[in-house]
Amino acid sequence: MSGNPEVSEDRISKTQRRRGSYVDVTMMIVLILILILGLAMIYSTSSYRAIDLYDDSMYFTRRQAVYMLAALAAMWCVSNVDYRYLLSFSKIILLSSMALQILVLVIGTASHGSARWIYIGPIGFQPSEYAKTAIIIYTAAQAAMHSRELAHAGRLVRIMILPVLDIVLIGVENLSTAIICFSVLFAVLFAASPKVRHFVTLGVFGVVGCVLFILFAGYRANRVKIWLAPEQYADGYQTVQSLYAVGSGGVFGLGFGNSVQKKGFIPESHNDMIFSVICEELGIVGAVFILVLFVLLIYRLAIIAMNARDRFGSLMVTGVMTHIAVQFLINACVVTNTIPPTGVPMPFISYGGSSIIFILMEMGIVMSVARDTSIVK
Amino acid sequence: MRVYSYNRQRIKCILIIVCLAVMMVAGRLTYIMIFRGEYYSERATSLHERERSIKAPRGRIYDRNGNVLADNKAVCSVSVIHSQIEDEDEVIDLLTGYIDKDPAEIEKKVRKNSSRELIASNVDKETGQKIKAAALPGVKVDEDYKRNYPYDTLASKVLGFTGGDNQGILGLEVKYDDYLTGENGSINAVTDAKGIELVSYSESRTDPVPGKDLVTTLDINIQRYVTQAAYKVLEEKKANRVCAITMNPKTGEIYAMADVPEYNLNDPFTLVSGYDASSDDDTEETEDSADGQADSLGETNETAALPAISQMDELNNMWRNYLISDTYEPGSTAKIITLTAALEKGAVSRSDSFYCPGYRLVEDRRIRCSKTTGHGSQTLEQALMNSCNPAFMDIGERAGVDAMYEYYGKLGLFSQSGIDLPGEANSIMHAKENVGPVELATMSFGQSFQVTPIQFVSAIAAVINGGYRITPHIGMEIVDSENGYIQALEFESGEQAISAETSKEMRSMLESVVADGSGKNGGIEGYRIGGKTATSEKLPRGNGRYISSYVGFAPADDPVVMTLLLIDEPEGTYYGGMVAAPVVRDIFLNILPYLGIDKDTNAY
Repeated sequence: MSGNPEVSEDRISKTQRRRGSYVDVTMMIVLILILILGLAMIYSTSSYRAIDLYDDSMYFTRRQAVYMLAALAAMWCVSNVDYRYLLSFSKIILLSSMALQILVLVIGTASHGSARWIYIGPIGFQPSEYAKTAIIIYTAAQAAMHSRELAHAGRLVRIMILPVLDIVLIGVENLSTAIICFSVLFAVLFAASPKVRHFVTLGVFGVVGCVLFILFAGYRANRVKIWLAPEQYADGYQTVQSLYAVGSGGVFGLGFGNSVQKKGFIPESHNDMIFSVICEELGIVGAVFILVLFVLLIYRLAIIAMNARDRFGSLMVTGVMTHIAVQFLINACVVTNTIPPTGVPMPFISYGGSSIIFILMEMGIVMSVARDTSIVK
Repeated sequence: MRVYSYNRQRIKCILIIVCLAVMMVAGRLTYIMIFRGEYYSERATSLHERERSIKAPRGRIYDRNGNVLADNKAVCSVSVIHSQIEDEDEVIDLLTGYIDKDPAEIEKKVRKNSSRELIASNVDKETGQKIKAAALPGVKVDEDYKRNYPYDTLASKVLGFTGGDNQGILGLEVKYDDYLTGENGSINAVTDAKGIELVSYSESRTDPVPGKDLVTTLDINIQRYVTQAAYKVLEEKKANRVCAITMNPKTGEIYAMADVPEYNLNDPFTLVSGYDASSDDDTEETEDSADGQADSLGETNETAALPAISQMDELNNMWRNYLISDTYEPGSTAKIITLTAALEKGAVSRSDSFYCPGYRLVEDRRIRCSKTTGHGSQTLEQALMNSCNPAFMDIGERAGVDAMYEYYGKLGLFSQSGIDLPGEANSIMHAKENVGPVELATMSFGQSFQVTPIQFVSAIAAVINGGYRITPHIGMEIVDSENGYIQALEFESGEQAISAETSKEMRSMLESVVADGSGKNGGIEGYRIGGKTATSEKLPRGNGRYISSYVGFAPADDPVVMTLLLIDEPEGTYYGGMVAAPVVRDIFLNILPYLGIDKDTNAY
């Protein structure tokens, strides 16, 4: 903990900043391991389709490697910037996210039945990935600044208005991302608030609302049926194929590269369903290894959050931690048919540029926060 | 903006919740991957694997000397997998060039969008290999076997044939199907979602297990003699059918079983002339005429209305084995049974004499003898030699209904013989309580009841072999050539039905029948042969349609071979002693030396 005297609850004088140099080695090793494993699995899962489509087994892998390098560069840049700058931009960030979200609804290119992409030339961009980051920054900033007042419902609601609007905009086309964003919002406010009672109420309403929405919102009700008996519905194909892959893994798996399910049975197995192929190829040993890596990562994030120099940093790291954890859990639950099917990429591992860039930028913020901590194990 | 301690507690709380959720996911993964792993991986495997079966050859059928009666010919089946075809026209050109089938149909099948389409089976091996050599994607040539019968028609009704999947349909082929059928092997190749085999993945192979071989008691030489003799008389007498069974009376081993016309086992669906709809009559019911003499027992009013016989009925009729699937009135040969019962019961003895005035009055009926002038006074032996109906009515009466039925039962006329062939019929007998004097009288000379030829020959075997029951059979042993073991087939035998003395007496009297009685046309100089003739008039009576039959055995004192021969509707002379006995004589003339029975000593 820094022993710097606090000048104000709400303002930070830039002159007071003296940047630390702490690097969380454990977190970095875990992150690098996850990224390497992810890239290897992208090669394993995409090469069949890459040959089929482009006659080049490395096609998707190379693209992902480029995204990853760009994302790592972005992470490095962000980590070197003082995160406190974000405080003053937080509102602009969220408003821009909302603008993009509206834009994608108007002009978005339909992919998988939902309008989620904006294309600028050949480069596709998913505003919802940006929205997650934006909500983390905005909520953390607001909660940090009005921490004491969070005990009052009025302040709480006022803070929530903009993020919830954004979440609603996301939820129109992408319920799972909306759920992730809501979880982040909830977790950050929960961590910041001196009173818990609101959150119990809020949590209950949130969960009940989600369940009702899923049950009664048209095509989502079908997903519940598919979830309960995937083998009986044609639309349960992906879920069934995923279960076949996971179940085929056994203890040690079929060996790296030996998945059969990736050979056209699981469509685009390098995307959302990549974890099922990891299970198939590396077995429960490999799957649990991934779980352990993620738990370690989240544990390190929690440690950083708890030891952050200030509340804003702490709450942002809490938001990033919640984002990674919830997204990872939803993905793993969909792959194992523990919850109704929905398309969520596995953080760091699934193929996709927007996803990796924003999540590594979030990691950059975490690293920036971590610098000012001095964690002694 | 410092971090309060409650903030840290909340973060810890979130961490704990996340860890619990991850543990739940780990539990779920364990459940799916470990406890449900087998289920899902089996499902996945069945989704990935395309099975190509490797056909197992069916077991061969041999005669007793190792001659092959049924084996397999390697053939190919050609099929196409639509999704793998690259150039449909090329495939169509190739297949129509080699396969002798309607090109339009081949084209239709090639263009049909199905997972796998069979173009042709039973393509001979060289053609199959040429098609395979063309190596067009999507064209699959699989090896298969087709049943082959080297002797075409020989013993067709005994062997039976197999269907499209090489499964037994008739005869021994179906009776021993479980042994003869092998277990198909398979190659399980892993394929991707499009069905293309993935070379880098190991394919699992299950080797086929060939079917076991069946060695029969048949002897192709004897079968040939018997079949030739049957065909000869069939043509000479323009009969409907001639059937004969040659058996070892001591063991029940059947050397030959012929029912001509036979059909071609390699082409079983082509009708053989002689099985047209018009030529066959209802042979279910026949009537004995006591060696040529019809009596007037109007027990049935047959209206032989023949239904329009479909092609299938004609085929079934052609495949039918008369010897086991049909019944007939045995006629005078049944006097053997009557006499056996009477001797066993002590109701008659060899010194008894009988008087025949040419008829006998039974209640209000006058049942005539074949010799209308009567045989006069005769000994028991002479009565049998003369096949005298009135004498046998006496003998039957003395024995009584109980004794007659007791010995019908003991000699197996109430139950199936148990022969190892499918489709065996059973006898048709009066209920014992319905047997009055008239029924008893007619049954005494083999009338008003029906038996299958195989039941009857088994009964006679027991009478002459020393008195014990045998089970007629064709299967001798199952040979597992893969594992080199032989399993002998066991059939019930040995139950004493009559005393050895009675059996001996019957043999000696039946020898007299051939030596100097109604069966003398069955005799061969230098051999001791026993036998009995019969002429049964078929129902409805009075149409001049007869079954002439003869049962003979040799050597008479210690028989090792017996033959029952039936001629269905001979034209011209129809007396069993005149037409059937000489045929068995011919057969014996050939097979007695072949069986190594010495002419002078009659020693086996």
